[in-house]
Amino acid sequence: MATPAADTKSSVDPATGSTREKSLSVMQRRWRKFKSLRRGWYSFIALIALYALSLLNPLLINSRALVVSYQGDLYFPAAAEWVGGRLYEAKEFGQRAIGEAEYRRLAEQYEEADEGDWVLMPPYPFHPNENLLREPGLAGNPPHPPQARHWLGTDDRGRDVFARLAYGFRVSITFALVTVSMYYLIGMFVGSVLGFFGGRVDIFGQRLVEIWAAIPFLYTVIIISNLLKPGVWLLAFVLAIFSWVGISFYMRGEFYREKAKDYAAAAIAQGESRRSIMFRHILPNSLTPVITFAPFAVVGSITALVSLDFLGFGLQAPTASWGELVNQGKQNIEHWHLVTFPLAALFVTLQLVVFIGEAVREAFDPKVFSRLR
Amino acid sequence: MAGDALLTVRNLHTHFHVGDTVARAVSGVSFEVRKNEVLGIVGESGSGKSVTALSLIRLIPDPPGRIAQGEVLFGGRDILKLSYEEVGKIRGRDIAMIFQEPMTSLNPVFKIGKQLTEPLLFHYDITRAEARERAAAALDLVGIPDPRRRLDEYPHQFSGGMRQRVMIAMAMICDPAILIADEPTTALDVTIQAQILELMLKVQEKREDASVILITHDLAVIAETCDRAIVRYGGKIQEAAPVAELCETPLHPYTKGLLASIPHAQEKGHRLNAIAGNVPSIFDLPLGCKFSTRCKDVLDRCHTEEPELREVTPGHWVRCFLMEDLV
Repeated sequence: MATPAADTKSSVDPATGSTREKSLSVMQRRWRKFKSLRRGWYSFIALIALYALSLLNPLLINSRALVVSYQGDLYFPAAAEWVGGRLYEAKEFGQRAIGEAEYRRLAEQYEEADEGDWVLMPPYPFHPNENLLREPGLAGNPPHPPQARHWLGTDDRGRDVFARLAYGFRVSITFALVTVSMYYLIGMFVGSVLGFFGGRVDIFGQRLVEIWAAIPFLYTVIIISNLLKPGVWLLAFVLAIFSWVGISFYMRGEFYREKAKDYAAAAIAQGESRRSIMFRHILPNSLTPVITFAPFAVVGSITALVSLDFLGFGLQAPTASWGELVNQGKQNIEHWHLVTFPLAALFVTLQLVVFIGEAVREAFDPKVFSRLR
Repeated sequence: MAGDALLTVRNLHTHFHVGDTVARAVSGVSFEVRKNEVLGIVGESGSGKSVTALSLIRLIPDPPGRIAQGEVLFGGRDILKLSYEEVGKIRGRDIAMIFQEPMTSLNPVFKIGKQLTEPLLFHYDITRAEARERAAAALDLVGIPDPRRRLDEYPHQFSGGMRQRVMIAMAMICDPAILIADEPTTALDVTIQAQILELMLKVQEKREDASVILITHDLAVIAETCDRAIVRYGGKIQEAAPVAELCETPLHPYTKGLLASIPHAQEKGHRLNAIAGNVPSIFDLPLGCKFSTRCKDVLDRCHTEEPELREVTPGHWVRCFLMEDLV
């Protein structure tokens, strides 16, 4: 059973040395409970760490050098690309080639010349959009199986699968987070307004929501995709404006329940404004279902992007995306690495998010025991 | 009804629309709250006493509820005609409310300190530190030990009685002219009911002309705490009188029945007296006198005509044909 200590957190005040009890809000207690659920908590840490790493992709997985030291001057091509600076041409570094410098060759060239110039490449020196057919060890027709330099092999255009998966991970997670935040904002706002005001606002509002929900998502996306060639942001926006309806139902229901409670009446009796009652009093008490649902919404968004890319209505080539890789796996089913690795990456990522979702759900569950005696 | 009235209610009608039917929870109620008095409103469940109180500060959920007509005059203005923002300035500051259920009337996500300081910051131009000081003082006044530390605790760390004290502190923090208490002790243990009632009356210590409207179904509570009492039945006032007079010489058969049904320690072994029958459904009130279906002394005309509320002796009003001879 819960002890009184479960509600408070002891911390020793360094000045007085005395123990002071700190009160924990409901959310803080849920957060502690979430942290105590190992599988979900470690999945959460793993996913956050992977995503943080993937944000550094241009410095970790790139064909452009991190640092080039040429005739005593230092250049930072990878960083320059990242912040949107200019690209360096080959001749600027004394390389005999047209167009942009090829840094892996440049490194070899400097080594042979031995004039004190050097190149520092990223740990995995291949770009996801780079055609590697001229690389040593990649003779013949793509796709190539996994090998020491190309961990997961290449795809059917001779591009490195590992690099594409890593960049695709960043795209997937970013897309999911952006989409979910956008449609949560819309859904929560609409649901709160309908639930709080009720009456005619609710009756007419609900009908409009239903009409909106009846617009077929896939056709709209196909049309938009053909007209506009969407990027990540536009695609996230389109998915968001078609996904908020479910969240608005949750919020509407919660608001209907919460506004009938005495604390809402008490807040009105204190003379507070409608906005304050809606967003400061009722909203924080209505979040349980939508927060519990959030990880599963992320799963949904990742899957949606993969499906759209798989069908070819998603992100434009040559953006590294998982759906496109899965599609390659389908078309080259005899090349096991093209089938296995993208699907495994997708599976592991979704599984991590689901573990987080399970833990969140359990942390929000008011019942300590999950079954009756 | 004359005197220095603080709040005057005239011909108040509050209806609830349920499907095609209309429940007349309050139909034509008029009364006044004088300065520095404790007014009790007593009645059975469904007599519309809570709805009356909620109507005073427009807390009726609309829909399904609606204040169909009437006036609630406070400070020369009709509260029922003000805009939401204007009523907001009166709510909490001039008229405050204590709710029945202490377990649900504090917001579970706010610390006690935040809930207490909120009305102060909303109604007055003061700093957070000053508001906090006043909140601590208010908690101290309602007898919560170590108030400064408890300001940083959440409602779930308080017991029911303690929460009701916090509610009282919250209602009293702006020194309101009128404190409406809707069955403040119903959900509490009998042992702390008396303490809570006493605390509530402290509002009059802080502000001399302050009044309390106490809504209850417990005549004993009325007898102990109130100056004047209104007896409600079937959405209407049946009798209104100073408490001492009401208890000694009740005139309405319903009041007599209520008083007779209070158990006495000396009558051990006897069956408890009860008023026969049930409260009529709010959708199907009797045509004439609302109490005619249960009245022991019912006359023929009671079923078809409704008596007027008359002042039979100074300050003592009653709605009953039997009392017309007294006039």
